[in-house]
Amino acid sequence: MTETTISRGMPFWVPRIRSWLGIAAAASFVVASVMALFWAPTDAVQGDVYRILYVHVPLAWLAYLAFVVVFLASVGWLWTRNALFDAIAVASAEIGVLFTGLFLVAGSIWAKPTWGVWWTWEPRLVTTAIMFVMYVGYLLLRGLSTDFSRRATRAAVFGIVAVIDVPIVHLSVLWANSLHQLPTVLRASGSPALDSSMLLTLMVSLFAYTLIYAYFMSARVSLEVARQERLWTRT
Amino acid sequence: MDPNLIFIVAAFAIVWGALLAYLISLRARGA
Repeated sequence: MTETTISRGMPFWVPRIRSWLGIAAAASFVVASVMALFWAPTDAVQGDVYRILYVHVPLAWLAYLAFVVVFLASVGWLWTRNALFDAIAVASAEIGVLFTGLFLVAGSIWAKPTWGVWWTWEPRLVTTAIMFVMYVGYLLLRGLSTDFSRRATRAAVFGIVAVIDVPIVHLSVLWANSLHQLPTVLRASGSPALDSSMLLTLMVSLFAYTLIYAYFMSARVSLEVARQERLWTRT
Repeated sequence: MDPNLIFIVAAFAIVWGALLAYLISLRARGA
């Protein structure tokens, strides 16, 4: 490890805003949960079970975001050799794996009463499962080397290549015959295809889960920066 | 009562529980 060529350090404002971020995330999470469970109207076709989508969809979007952040941070590390980018990448990958696992589980629980099966080998589900395994692999890859630069560079290359699965997951329902429904909000053909109160609930849920992601990121990046500091202190 | 209530409760409980568990793990690691 060549310490002189690696810059590092946490922006001073991150720990300062974390407690406010936590309060905002918790408050919006409560509002989003009440809206999802009690305020949003019952779906005419699916009944109340569609309420699961108020956790499934935000977690899916946040998983996409998390892996795009891994991609951007990986580019940042290769470009600047600032260790903070590596901390951001590993933090976002870990949280992305958590969110992907959870949206797979929530989706599976929704699928059983709706489709009649817990799991089916259709394009959206398979590409999502591949995405989950790829980022678990990303985290495992980081354990293969104890040399900081080598580990960060290998992980960055993997993080840049793996992001290709994100658009594949999102567009898989358009490219192939799929049991999974087509995009409802991010549609190429126009405005979102759902009731305005349902859309509002979804947006509030998305906002709440984004704040949760941001809070988790601030805490996890701080942990990783502290770990880097201990590493450099030892060497 | 909705016959699928158990699925709704299970999905929310698993997601909330996992997020809480991750928060506790962050705290336990020193965040």
